[in-house]
Amino acid sequence: MALYIARRLAGMVLLLIAVSAITFIIFNVFPSTDPALLRAGRQPTPELIESIRRDLGLDRPLPVQFADWIYNVFFHLDFGRSYQTNQDVRDLILDDLPATISLAAGAVVIWLAVGLTVGIVSAVRRGTLLDRVAMSLSLVAISATPYWLGLVALYLFAPDFGVFGLPFVGGQGSYTPLTEDPVQWLKSLILPWLVLATSFAAIYARLLRGSLLDVMGQDYIRTARAKGLPERAVVLRHGVRSAITPVVTVLGLDIGILLGGAILTESVFNIQGIGRLAYDAITRGDLPIVQGTVLFGAFFIVIMNLIVDIAYAFLDPRVRY
Amino acid sequence: MSRSLLRTLLALVALVAAFGLAACGGGDESDTGGGEGGGTPAQGDTAGANITEQLFAGSAMDNRQNPDQGKKGGKLTVLAAGDVDYMDPGKTYYTYAIGIINATHRGLYAYLPGSTEQAVPDLADGDPQISQDGKTVTVKLKQGVMFSKPVSREVTSADVKYAIERAFTASVANGYARVYFGDLVGAPEDPGPYRPIEGIETPDDQTIVFRLSKGTGAALAGALAMPISVPVPKDYALRYDRENPSTYDQHMVFTGPYMVENDGNGNITGYTAGKRIHLVRNPDYAAVDDFRPAYLDEIEISAGNEDTAVATRRILSGENMASGDLEPPSNQLKRLLETNKTELSVVPGGGWRMISMDTSRPPFDDINVRKAVIAGFDRVAARQQRGGEALGPIAQHFIPPGMAGFEESGGAEPDPEFDWLQNPDGDRALSAEYFRKAGMESGKYEGNANLLLVADNAEPERSIAQITEQQLREMGFQTTLRLVTRDTMFTRFCNVPRSEVNVCPSVGWAQDFADPQTMLDPTFNGNNIIETQNSNWPELDVPAINRAIEQAKLVTDPDERAQAWADVNRQIVAQAPSIPYMWDYQAVVASPNVRGVQNGYSTTWDWNFTSIR
Repeated sequence: MALYIARRLAGMVLLLIAVSAITFIIFNVFPSTDPALLRAGRQPTPELIESIRRDLGLDRPLPVQFADWIYNVFFHLDFGRSYQTNQDVRDLILDDLPATISLAAGAVVIWLAVGLTVGIVSAVRRGTLLDRVAMSLSLVAISATPYWLGLVALYLFAPDFGVFGLPFVGGQGSYTPLTEDPVQWLKSLILPWLVLATSFAAIYARLLRGSLLDVMGQDYIRTARAKGLPERAVVLRHGVRSAITPVVTVLGLDIGILLGGAILTESVFNIQGIGRLAYDAITRGDLPIVQGTVLFGAFFIVIMNLIVDIAYAFLDPRVRY
Repeated sequence: MSRSLLRTLLALVALVAAFGLAACGGGDESDTGGGEGGGTPAQGDTAGANITEQLFAGSAMDNRQNPDQGKKGGKLTVLAAGDVDYMDPGKTYYTYAIGIINATHRGLYAYLPGSTEQAVPDLADGDPQISQDGKTVTVKLKQGVMFSKPVSREVTSADVKYAIERAFTASVANGYARVYFGDLVGAPEDPGPYRPIEGIETPDDQTIVFRLSKGTGAALAGALAMPISVPVPKDYALRYDRENPSTYDQHMVFTGPYMVENDGNGNITGYTAGKRIHLVRNPDYAAVDDFRPAYLDEIEISAGNEDTAVATRRILSGENMASGDLEPPSNQLKRLLETNKTELSVVPGGGWRMISMDTSRPPFDDINVRKAVIAGFDRVAARQQRGGEALGPIAQHFIPPGMAGFEESGGAEPDPEFDWLQNPDGDRALSAEYFRKAGMESGKYEGNANLLLVADNAEPERSIAQITEQQLREMGFQTTLRLVTRDTMFTRFCNVPRSEVNVCPSVGWAQDFADPQTMLDPTFNGNNIIETQNSNWPELDVPAINRAIEQAKLVTDPDERAQAWADVNRQIVAQAPSIPYMWDYQAVVASPNVRGVQNGYSTTWDWNFTSIR
């Protein structure tokens, strides 16, 4: 197992370099914003533009720029500085990371609780009205984008202007760090958690339902029933344990992607997380921030995937490393 | 194992693709066909009637006439979509930031809320004295204006001299220093380390003299109302300016009634880029002969409120709130005028919007083709996408309302000699006539050119671009519309002549200060066409116009200057270089318990005059 993990970690470094290279190429080959021109204002002289380009290091050959950046990241954990504000990119990411983790963690708890419950009930009550209603609603939930759902939630429930303003939830821009005020933190995240969790819960419900229906038709489930085990034990101990493997796989990747930033949810609720940071940087052509946030996102995806693979060993007795 | 690797790769590809696609904006949209917003009905107004101000009569716009009737105290929360470009007054070039700087710093001149035509003395003790030949500008300073801690001393003329000198350095890299101060004797050609400028003299602590190599003193005097004239103490700031980029913005000292919160030692703590600005009272503020009542105790500015509909709703249903750089959604404005009129205000934006045509290459190198397009174009439909008549009259020329030279240019009415501008709804018969004059007997464009249109992919610009494409197709052109992010549109396409964009439907220009030179010189002077960051979008290069512009720059008498620029304006309009469709107004919104006073220069609420009821 240790050897396996070491091999995966080594591969991770190569993968992250590859992701960084692709991002760098996309931003430099395809037409995007020129940061020197943005910084120069609307009536600059060519000399001023050149001076800014030099100061930002944009006058160096592209391979040199990229090699420098990679060297600094992997040997000094230095992600560079923002083209626009000159702030340290690592500091910016670390400042915004708690908000993204808060958002993702709460949403994961909610979507797992709701999604898994609905999935199991629908599978067990297959074909009933309850199953049909649950699966129909899940389709609606999957179709609703977080941005739209967020707007609807705000218009209905925001305490300051919602039609049914709820005093125990926070509105747009109300996010407060956990360390500053835990109660306000909780209030500010209730709506974003629900919005972000809605479509995920629906996907997970359908995923688990399908998987569980497959498993419940297996011989060993029939054997378990024949042995006289209570149905509850058959479903939860034997059925769900096997059926949950694809859910865990998707969960790992989803958490990884979310930790790289939930752009839409962060935008609609004005939560200053990694997604917002990345989005703003993209629109300004602020490559160091884009590179940093992409690398962070990629790092989380790779790590979560590794965790998922390790988890298989515990969930599925057939898996050995 | 391989499945696991594949999974990871797929997720990573999705991640990179998402970022990459967002970065590149929209792709080639040549098949959009356009026109879904093109059928908007005409508004029925005459071309020049200023219905905007009639619609807003009785709104908070009226507070600009009696701005100093506020009440002291209270905290205001400001919702903004974006952030300032820079906090450093030597760097910033953004009106929203200028509004904040005007509350925290005292420059030589400033604009009162009710007047956009003339700046008033602020740190200066009287109007600038411009010599007959326009080569010398002298300004006297008030005594007793103080810097905040840790500098805590009186402002002198040397502080203004240093402020302007540092703007030429590479570490500050001011975007307009060379445009208005480039004729100072000894002004550096290239940005570099700090160098004193010989042409700025300080004979005593209260006098500053600008000596120029050309007679361009009138423009320099006007530019003294820009933040470049905010005093910066050299003895304190030089160490921060030696870093590149300068870090003075993290250690600024202030002279205005407010300051960005700091730790008491000058280190800024109240500003987080992209997130918040916290303004508190400046304890060292010396209100020497200052026009600022500064009613509020505290101002908290929160960025990131990009959904303007939600932000507007929060402001209107809340208390002690106001909009920052965001405007109420234009499609809701008429309704808001019925339900929340007293919480709204509007001022002329000091600029225009236009659809530019590249006059340097076919087919728009033929003036008759350009006139045909303008004549046949439904400008009302384009304006409708930006809020219609509620947010501004149809533009007929390039000097906006409220600026010297506007009335001399015929005011809001089109010049009778320019028949292609007479019908804002579009006159296809007249358009056909001009096409025929261009040798196209069918009355439509008959060439093979495929026009490249590059536009901003965000609304309302997207709709305006689609309307433009549809109308051009109706006139017989083949078109390719490319929608990209706004910054990409400028820095990679419309501001880069070699990209050979035929039509830029998303461009506009606003004043630097109340002088027509700031509207016409960067945008229509052929001498200003540059390889990158070019703002002469039509690439108009008419020697007679270029000469007239250079001569108008040298006129110092205000009346003669207004007339000279009006004459330039008329020559430009006669060339039909673009489709001017709006002199747009800027709307702002505040909570019912806020007495908002809008500033006509920054176009945001004036934080010095706005108060809690």
